[in-house]
Amino acid sequence: MPRIRLKSRPVTSLAHTADGVSPKPLQVRIRLPALWLLAVLLGVATFMALASGAVPISLMAILSGQESGLERTVFSEIRVPRVVLAGFVGAALALSGAALQGLFRNPLADPGLIGVSSGAALGAVAMIVMGPALGLTGAFAAYSLPLAAITGAVAVTLFLYAFSSRYGQFSIVTILLAGIAINALATVGIGLFQFLSDDAGLRTLTFWMMGSFGRATWTTVLPAIAVMAAAAAPILLLGRHLDALQLGEAEAFHVGVDVTRVKRYVILCSAVAVGAGVALSGIVGFVGLVVPHLVRLALGPAHRYVLPGAVLLGASLTMLADAVSRTVVSPAEIPVSLVTSALGAPFFLWLISTVRPR
Amino acid sequence: MILRARHVSLRFGPARILTDVSIEVKPGTVTAVAGPNGAGKTSLLRILSGEIEPSGGVVRLNGRPLTRLSLAQQARRRSVMVQSAPMAFDFFVEEVLAIGRRQGRDSVPDTASAEIVGDCRIGHLIGRKYNSLSGGERQRVQFARALLQVWQSPAGPPLPRPGKLRSTPRYMLLDEPTASLDLAHELQILRLARRACRNDIGVLLVLHDLNLAARFADRVVLLACGVTVADGPPKEVFRDGILSHVYGTSVQVERHERLGRLVIHTE
Repeated sequence: MPRIRLKSRPVTSLAHTADGVSPKPLQVRIRLPALWLLAVLLGVATFMALASGAVPISLMAILSGQESGLERTVFSEIRVPRVVLAGFVGAALALSGAALQGLFRNPLADPGLIGVSSGAALGAVAMIVMGPALGLTGAFAAYSLPLAAITGAVAVTLFLYAFSSRYGQFSIVTILLAGIAINALATVGIGLFQFLSDDAGLRTLTFWMMGSFGRATWTTVLPAIAVMAAAAAPILLLGRHLDALQLGEAEAFHVGVDVTRVKRYVILCSAVAVGAGVALSGIVGFVGLVVPHLVRLALGPAHRYVLPGAVLLGASLTMLADAVSRTVVSPAEIPVSLVTSALGAPFFLWLISTVRPR
Repeated sequence: MILRARHVSLRFGPARILTDVSIEVKPGTVTAVAGPNGAGKTSLLRILSGEIEPSGGVVRLNGRPLTRLSLAQQARRRSVMVQSAPMAFDFFVEEVLAIGRRQGRDSVPDTASAEIVGDCRIGHLIGRKYNSLSGGERQRVQFARALLQVWQSPAGPPLPRPGKLRSTPRYMLLDEPTASLDLAHELQILRLARRACRNDIGVLLVLHDLNLAARFADRVVLLACGVTVADGPPKEVFRDGILSHVYGTSVQVERHERLGRLVIHTE
């Protein structure tokens, strides 16, 4: 007769392991204070961005009213709008990235991925090259570039939406694949406009493709930040819905989430926010990818904390990156996207290596 | 007050998935749907949950057609547990439960939540990452999440209206809740389901295991090829002839005297 030894604890003692209630995890307990900390960081980053630049300006002098006329003009007409724009574009990109990652349930999603950024870029590039030929004047000339970029972003989004909801179901895989195709087509379009443009146009275009907040003036910044804020607000309210969506689309429906409406809001609002940002600053790489990840490391993955966290951290980091870009080779400046991409691309590689294949 | 599908059919193109199926889920009882693979069990559950609309027939929840209820109203009155995949982001168990605790603008109070967590024996898992759990642990967490979703204060609905303080019947639809669970865990989940139905909750189980269906269900609906073959208490539905015919293999049903219940096995 075989001898059987029971080494492990018998299963009947299930209750044994179930008595203790473990405390809430640390990340869950600290996420509200951490959010406040990010708000403080935003304040510090704003201060540092305002204090640095090619022209040395003492913030104390500004506050106490002892500045010279030149300093005052440089500060209020060049530096402040620039810092404000950098903050808003960073916030919009990071928020769109976080929301799209939640929607696609893929930590590698990004406004660039589904072709929204390149749609905006194509619109803007078309306007840079063709604009002079159109002979626009007055207010319309100032807003023609942002309008063209938003039109490009929204056109891409509407196309994606129509294309992927053709068969009734709104499929994420279709969107991702269509995004690849759109990116390729937009690259063709941009290349074509580069070929057509003259020397001056080419120079503007190159700088624009590498991203810069240098052309910020109040006339262009104010409408752009109004559009970005209006587009970002609905996304911020969708945190709980995006959390439920992480269980799966059918499961989110069972919990009472109108999945189609959430998709529509996230995609349309992030397109408008990204389009408005790209119009003024050009393409600023990797903010939408890296920032949500850093926020998740600190706050955990729940979207009702990640979304506001991404806004705060996205604004802070982009303002700091812009400050770096205009001080390292002062009085000249390097394109801001070189700074964000130099930091973001290695991070992206690290990210790919850590995301477990499913 | 009942969850009822009447004469529902479902077809995808030429394929008839369900033909004229009627089913009732009564509050306070456990109804099991059994049948061979491809009989349409899961499709029936998805129709009852409102996830897919039937090609014919109508589903009513407490007397009102599903299509007339908002998604939030449906979610408060019925929760669903399906086979769950790992999550793309590393959510804590605590946060997964929070998804169920949220009921529109209200949230299940901490004391009630702690009670459900204790009942499901997942207290020690609260601080763990959901993706790090075993299959059985995930099932229990999802069950607790589904239970929280239809939780109702003993005083009545979360937002009691004047003159309407009686509790509203609610429903839980569980698709293969015991799949990939060991003997002890499958008993545990089904006992929890049995317990849940005391609180004016109707439970629908899609089950492969006929022995479990015989043991835990008050009523069994036996489906084959999209039609109802039998519908009634287990001892009427589970008969040698019916089961052998439906499964196309020789099935024996015996009453086990010592356990005092039906035992079903193949020859």
